Amino acid sequence: MKKILIVDDEQDIVESLKFVLETSDYICYCAYNGEDGLKLAKEIMPDLIILDVMMPKINGYKISRLLKFDNKYKDIPILMLTARSQEEDKLIGEETGADEYITKPFDLDYVMKKVDSYLK
Amino acid sequence: MVLLISERAEKISFFGEIFSQNTPAFYVASELAQVLDIISVSPPDIIIIDTLSSTVKVKSIIRKINSVLDNPIIILIVEDKVEKDLIKLSNAFITDDMSKELVEATINVNLRMKNSLAQLSDSNKDLADSLYMLNTLYNTSSQFASTLDKNELIKYMVEGLDKSLSFSLTCTLSFCNESHPILILNSLYDISEELLSAIKLRMIFNYKSLFGANEPPYNLDEESLEVVKYVKYPASKFTFTLFQYDNLFAPISQGDNFFGCIEIFKDTHFSSEDAKCFQTIVQQVALPLKNASLYQEIKETNQKLEKLERLKSEFISIVSHELRTPLTSIKNSLDILHSGRCGEVTSASDKFLSMAKRNVQRLSGIINDLLDLSKIEAGKMDFHFSKIDVHNVIEYVKSTFVNVAKEKGLSLCADETLDLPFVYADSQRLEQVLTNLVSNAIKFTPSGKNITIKSQLINAKDVKIDNCFKELAKKLDGDYIMVSVLDEGIGIAEENLLRAFDKFAQIENSLSRKVGGSGLGLPIAKQLIEAHNGIIWCESQLEKGSKFIFVIPVAEN
Repeated sequence: MKKILIVDDEQDIVESLKFVLETSDYICYCAYNGEDGLKLAKEIMPDLIILDVMMPKINGYKISRLLKFDNKYKDIPILMLTARSQEEDKLIGEETGADEYITKPFDLDYVMKKVDSYLK
Repeated sequence: MVLLISERAEKISFFGEIFSQNTPAFYVASELAQVLDIISVSPPDIIIIDTLSSTVKVKSIIRKINSVLDNPIIILIVEDKVEKDLIKLSNAFITDDMSKELVEATINVNLRMKNSLAQLSDSNKDLADSLYMLNTLYNTSSQFASTLDKNELIKYMVEGLDKSLSFSLTCTLSFCNESHPILILNSLYDISEELLSAIKLRMIFNYKSLFGANEPPYNLDEESLEVVKYVKYPASKFTFTLFQYDNLFAPISQGDNFFGCIEIFKDTHFSSEDAKCFQTIVQQVALPLKNASLYQEIKETNQKLEKLERLKSEFISIVSHELRTPLTSIKNSLDILHSGRCGEVTSASDKFLSMAKRNVQRLSGIINDLLDLSKIEAGKMDFHFSKIDVHNVIEYVKSTFVNVAKEKGLSLCADETLDLPFVYADSQRLEQVLTNLVSNAIKFTPSGKNITIKSQLINAKDVKIDNCFKELAKKLDGDYIMVSVLDEGIGIAEENLLRAFDKFAQIENSLSRKVGGSGLGLPIAKQLIEAHNGIIWCESQLEKGSKFIFVIPVAEN
């Protein structure tokens, strides 16, 4: 079974994503801040990461950059979630190597479709 | 006064008889020392010199007199024959054999001439003074027109007063900075602490007395009053005799605006001309001071408005961000419940879950609109311009809405002119505009009716706007692509047309609540179209339908 890491400081969002992903037979790991997220990513080597941008300690952009510029982790697909819709945020998101960029409030089915497209 | 310089007894008695009434005063001198004594005490109107008197050295006396007096009138007593040099040095001649009447007449003529000359010289001096003052006034008033800085204006006023009145001291109590009154002293000599304290008290008293029994506009006390001193010759000091100097005082005010007051001291007498000049300059400075106040107010208000505008944009952007996060959780929870993953969805729960989802969608739309508008207003909206075909935009929007329209029993069709020239536009933003217009049309049109999207090429001079938007047409020049969305909906009353593009101005509140929407679609469309150098307007008839039209310029080849 594929492993998915969800990193978001909003517990409710993590919860709902986890619920839906688990019903589709994915194993979910959760982190509620950037630091834990990065640590967990290196520990469990997930098959995909769903990553929020605005988080305490280390933000999503930084995590994405750190992973995507590391040969060991660079192939892990990253779906970035953000509540901001500024065009420049989008650009920064792309520069940091995120594979997808999803604006909140997002559609769970849409996220599921994206996840499936990377993992199935 | 007449002075006779002679030692001949018969001459002295001859003139003594002429001036026996002592009008004018008559003096006699026989030697230089005496002459100098007399003329130094009071300059004579006429000096008669007896050249026939053996002891009198005529030329040296005349030289001496000329060195002490300005243009003295000199009459010489001579023989028939006169030396050439003497002709140059005197105004008239008398001979021994002239009759008393003739001599008197000669003296009188010269006296009158002397008086006329004196008057002329006085008039000339007055004229020169007036001219100088006028010139100063002119220069000062031009300076007043050159600045909107209140402190500069006060400085120019004092400079103008100095040039025209050459004062010893001016004390200007300035309220140009309301919260911070200043006493400005422009003085010839330095001012001791004791004198300064007395001047302060005097100014405060003067200031308060301006308002009589009324409360003065600003509170003022000796301790808090800041003093700025400009001293021309700091080596010397004024003493308390300053208060015996002649002085002038005036308030600096214009209507209800009070800017301060000024007192000016001078060690000589101020003439009535001086007083007039003082009043004029002080009155003249008040109007530019008022203008400067107004200018400052406008500037401050503008700054405040700009700040507010910026804060508003920031606020909207932060709030929208904060709203999206909980909205995402609500939406996700609803989606999960609705998907049946948590158990069977009954028809009743389906109804209410759908309702909740629809409203989340609506809220999310409002937040997006708010963000868009705040971005456009803050100039932060990014546009990606390229040459595009309007046809593609219309097709995209039509395909998005065709099912929504069908569900509501509406027919949505396009009436396009084929092969239109390209426009230089951001296709996404243009889609946003058209989406707003079409979704409005669907919202406000009852079922069974039609909605049409039309496109055509048009020249600026053929754009006809008949209603309150007609001013917009003046901006246009050249060829445009015109896109219109026609509906057969409820329409907008003539008086409400202009407001249609205002923020949050959905006309019928009850209806807009029924049909939903943020009320920001049209203002956003307007801003987006304007960013494309186009215009947007509408035509409408109540109960018949509306037509929303925009034009954007054709792209250059």
